[in-house]
Amino acid sequence: MLKRRRLYRSLLIFLSRKAFFAVAAYFIFLTIIFLVPRLIPGNPLALLLSQLYRQAQANPETIRECYKRLMEQFEMNKPLWKQYIDFIIRTFKGDLGVSISMFPTKVIDIIMLNLPWTLGLLLPATIISWIFGNLLGALAAYKRKTATDNVLLTIFIILSQTPYYWLAMLLLFLFAAKYRIFPVGGTYSLGMVPSFTLSFIIDYLKHLALPLLSIVIGAIGGWAIGMRSMMIYEIGSDYVIFSKTLGLPHRKIMSYAFRSAILPQITGLATSLGTILGGALITELVFNYQGMGLVLFRALSSLDYPLIQGTYVILAATLVLATFIIDLLYSLIDPRIRTGAEGS
Amino acid sequence: MKEKLRKIIDPLLGVLRIKKALVSIIVLLAVVVIGIIGPIVYPVDPTSTTGPPERPPSKQYPLGTDTFGRDVLAQVLHGIRSSLYIGLTAGLIALAIGTMVGSIAGYSGGLTDDTLTLLIRVFYIFPSILLMILIAAYVRYRTPLLVALIIGITSWPDLALCVRSQILSLKEREFVYMSKISGYSGIKIILEDLLPNMLSYIFMYFVMLLAGAMLSEAGLSMIGVGVTKGVSLGIILYWAEAMDAVRRGLWWWFIPPGAILVAIASSLLMLSTALDEYFNPRLREE
Repeated sequence: MLKRRRLYRSLLIFLSRKAFFAVAAYFIFLTIIFLVPRLIPGNPLALLLSQLYRQAQANPETIRECYKRLMEQFEMNKPLWKQYIDFIIRTFKGDLGVSISMFPTKVIDIIMLNLPWTLGLLLPATIISWIFGNLLGALAAYKRKTATDNVLLTIFIILSQTPYYWLAMLLLFLFAAKYRIFPVGGTYSLGMVPSFTLSFIIDYLKHLALPLLSIVIGAIGGWAIGMRSMMIYEIGSDYVIFSKTLGLPHRKIMSYAFRSAILPQITGLATSLGTILGGALITELVFNYQGMGLVLFRALSSLDYPLIQGTYVILAATLVLATFIIDLLYSLIDPRIRTGAEGS
Repeated sequence: MKEKLRKIIDPLLGVLRIKKALVSIIVLLAVVVIGIIGPIVYPVDPTSTTGPPERPPSKQYPLGTDTFGRDVLAQVLHGIRSSLYIGLTAGLIALAIGTMVGSIAGYSGGLTDDTLTLLIRVFYIFPSILLMILIAAYVRYRTPLLVALIIGITSWPDLALCVRSQILSLKEREFVYMSKISGYSGIKIILEDLLPNMLSYIFMYFVMLLAGAMLSEAGLSMIGVGVTKGVSLGIILYWAEAMDAVRRGLWWWFIPPGAILVAIASSLLMLSTALDEYFNPRLREE
């Protein structure tokens, strides 16, 4: 009973330490994404006002009035430290503010509009590449020291070092420019309205195919290499050698090794899923695919402070949360990690 | 002296006996030689108009020309040079910072460790694009050195974490206790006892940092914050993308730079894998 209580206590201390450092890292990150864009010379309001001027043909007096109003609206006339405190408070309240470049749309609305497309691309891409990468990696380890393993490993190595966007360019060139099987870019055909109709879904899938394929092919290699080396490590461990001497069938031993080797890969998957919300910036650029990457790109090029902050706030939150959940799960699974933390 | 030389040369020969290592070293040497000698043998200016626009490969222009009539082969040759330079510089910077932070954090423990681990975590999620745009706004043009610096100071956290955990397990060994009892300082123990024991590991990591830095350069270029002075492999891809070369079927413009980038990066990974097999008895192929 006493022992159990001590165990809970050490777990609690471990987790609160972890939580403290996760929050601290997030805080420093928030400070960075607040400060750095403001250190970049340029006034995001100038762009908006020049647009207004061109469209509305307003006289300079009105423009000046508008500028004053906007400065107040975005609190850019306040001192920096006050803006910073406001930003932190509003972030923790869940208020991401209003975009400057797409005034007066709310940042959260822009994110909500683009997030589904990013999820539609990256969620299946990550999961498909993870499954196939692990299976192929395990196969290579299973066929170790044969020609199959050599060929597979070479392919994995080349694929894992091929940038997604270059693959994207190759696929676009082959299947959209040379043979016109798939569209050359975009999220869906012009004139289509997103809806759950069959014709729209087919149209969307056609646009999704190449970006999805480029990410899947590019990511498979990395997962496979990881799985292969984990499997080889397991195969060299004592319990496998012991099972071999016991005369257990090869297949059965391999399935045991597979089960232990997949654990770190699950961690990798969790981290990978944690970064999804950032979108696939360059892939989205190459395919002109509407997603979080393009939102961030537009925000950065127009110096849209609230939009830059908003996208990073959400991205970092999921990333920090994902790492924390992994730490938590690991400490539950593996008591050595906890006690190690208690000892220091 | 001869004995000492033998001690260094023998493992190197052993590495070369692994087929994977041999192949990757040959590919790397070939690329390095092309990058160094290429621009001398083929002295065409990569940034000025030297021919008609958008010509496919021919005798006169072995890799064709781009939209501005610039020679793609000349660009690729100069690109290899600066990409290797960026990879090497950024890799060395990341290696230095990562090893230093990781070993100090692992050896000291306590508050120092906590603070440094926090630093590592922050840099882990640090948006390097933001840093690049910030610095870009204050400089006249972005040289390869500047790009290398930025990649270097944002790509060390991974190494730091690995070095830290290695040191954590190494510092409990007896020989470290012996040094402590003998009154050696912490820095001396790190430099003389701990790091030499992880040399092969750190070298393997450096090889991967090199490949990673070259790929990062291409990535930054594709976003539009790559070098603005000189030609790198990434910037050629960016130019091709900006001029819509892919959709217009100008394959000679974007396939060669990407293919060379992949060749360099994958032979570096291949080399690292082979070294891993060589140094790690568990993986050695009998």
